Amino acid sequence: MNATLAIAGATFGEAVRKRILIVILLIALLIILISPAFGPFAGGRGARTLIISFGFGVIQLAGTFIAIIMCTGLIPTEIERRTIYTILSKPVQRYQFVLGKFFGAVGTLGFMYLMMGIVFLIATRLALGEFDGRIIPGLLMFFFQSSLLAAVVIFFSTFVSPLVNYFLSGGVFLLGNLLSSFLETIQRNPEVTPITRIPVQLLTIILPNFANFNVQNPIINPEQVITDPVAYTVQTIAYAIVYIVMLLVLSMLIFNQREM
Amino acid sequence: MSDLAIKTVNLTKRYSGLWSKHPVEAVKNLNLEVYRGEIFGFLGPNGAGKTTTIKILLGIIYPTEGEAYVLGQPAGDPKNHYKISYLPENPYFYDYMTGREILTFYARLFGITEPERSKRVNELLDRVGLSRAADQPLRTYSKGMLQRIGLAQCLINDPELLILDEPTAGLDPIAHIDIRDLILELRNQGKTLFISSHQLSDVERVCDRVAILNKGMLVRLGKIEELLAGGYVEIIADKVTNNVLEPIRQLGGKASLHDGRLIVEQPDDGSVDRVIDIVRAAGGHIVSVKPYRRTLEDLFVETIQGGKSV
Repeated sequence: MNATLAIAGATFGEAVRKRILIVILLIALLIILISPAFGPFAGGRGARTLIISFGFGVIQLAGTFIAIIMCTGLIPTEIERRTIYTILSKPVQRYQFVLGKFFGAVGTLGFMYLMMGIVFLIATRLALGEFDGRIIPGLLMFFFQSSLLAAVVIFFSTFVSPLVNYFLSGGVFLLGNLLSSFLETIQRNPEVTPITRIPVQLLTIILPNFANFNVQNPIINPEQVITDPVAYTVQTIAYAIVYIVMLLVLSMLIFNQREM
Repeated sequence: MSDLAIKTVNLTKRYSGLWSKHPVEAVKNLNLEVYRGEIFGFLGPNGAGKTTTIKILLGIIYPTEGEAYVLGQPAGDPKNHYKISYLPENPYFYDYMTGREILTFYARLFGITEPERSKRVNELLDRVGLSRAADQPLRTYSKGMLQRIGLAQCLINDPELLILDEPTAGLDPIAHIDIRDLILELRNQGKTLFISSHQLSDVERVCDRVAILNKGMLVRLGKIEELLAGGYVEIIADKVTNNVLEPIRQLGGKASLHDGRLIVEQPDDGSVDRVIDIVRAAGGHIVSVKPYRRTLEDLFVETIQGGKSV
């Protein structure tokens, strides 16, 4: 555990100093800070919805970019720079290395979300005159969405190059956001044949459902009505954790066989 | 306890690409024994299979065939890693960390806890001469300082076996000497050092035995003094006539005469005095007598160009 935490700490320390991630964070913070200025365009109660949705949109986008950019290089860079040799020649198991990298990435995401969350809370408090109760659960959902994406990227990074990983992980994130709605649409359409429906159903089962985490955004999902938000949040976070554990186990199995 | 620090038996590593029909054999049937307490030089041209062998010994890659043992245990056993350490060629360390932080990081990988951790880190910083730079980020370190911190991370667990890949490459002469002295000091403490290097003069000075690898095969193995036996003495003399050539050649020397100047390459086996006597008796004048010791570089070039296998 000590080794895993040491690797996680080193990963966090390196990631929070990456210029590209700092730039993304700063741009996101700036946009969140000025987001209340867009409120008047909607007018009345719509202003609140617009400010909250816009802020969440920026946070989700920044979290997605940070997760993909940070995690694609986490393992390949260590191999390329040969740092991994000094680590694996110590009494460190390969699974500890993968876990350390993942926890370091999640720690970085947590730090970034904390920064964005604080600024978002301050900006909305100033614009609306009160704290909006949807912000903290929403941030939590997006944090878990990014953590799940980080696990996907780390999984791919154990066997593909960083460039391929960008496209693969980006594609999985995109499909994971769209597939469930697409499946609902084709299930409602009686003309869709099983040849089309079955592959979509299979993909929906295999790929992580990233759309589940987007419910706080009433602009994107206006038709969504959640009767018990707490249960839904807990259920979705549990789903993320189960999926993350599965991806990490697969990553560890692949990485254990990998030659560097 | 086995008296072998490293043992390989018919160790073979083959790389086969996804689309390639012909696999590349990076290491072929390597049989090697490294004794505890010795400094062992592991030599070979680029691509000879040295780093591949080291990676197998560390469990970073797996052999295709054969076996490898480190300190009596199968190579790659993480429990064994408490007793070994490794310095890769041109190592990169997290450069945002300070010298003290990077050593603390490596100490944590061994599960070394406070206050022992801080004590060891301070001792090592002092030992490699980096106490004053301990709290500077590694990105401000020179190459020599980084190599020292690399050696310090190797010593954090007080290992029995150190595997060093090019420990003196690219260092200035002072840093070079410091690292070489540290290696000898470690041997005096009873540690085993397995050194892969292209710095043949360093290897010649510090190693007890060497192995030379070429194209994945072991081509030379032995004690330095045995491998380098066979030096010669060059004798140059003036005012010499043709009639000295034959008696000198009968003593086993290579003699040539040009315009009265005689050049003899005489084996260093006690016959040098007799050659000098022959020259003087013939009225010749000795200009110089210069011993030439065979160097590891000579042996290396001869071995690699000869392509001989043991």
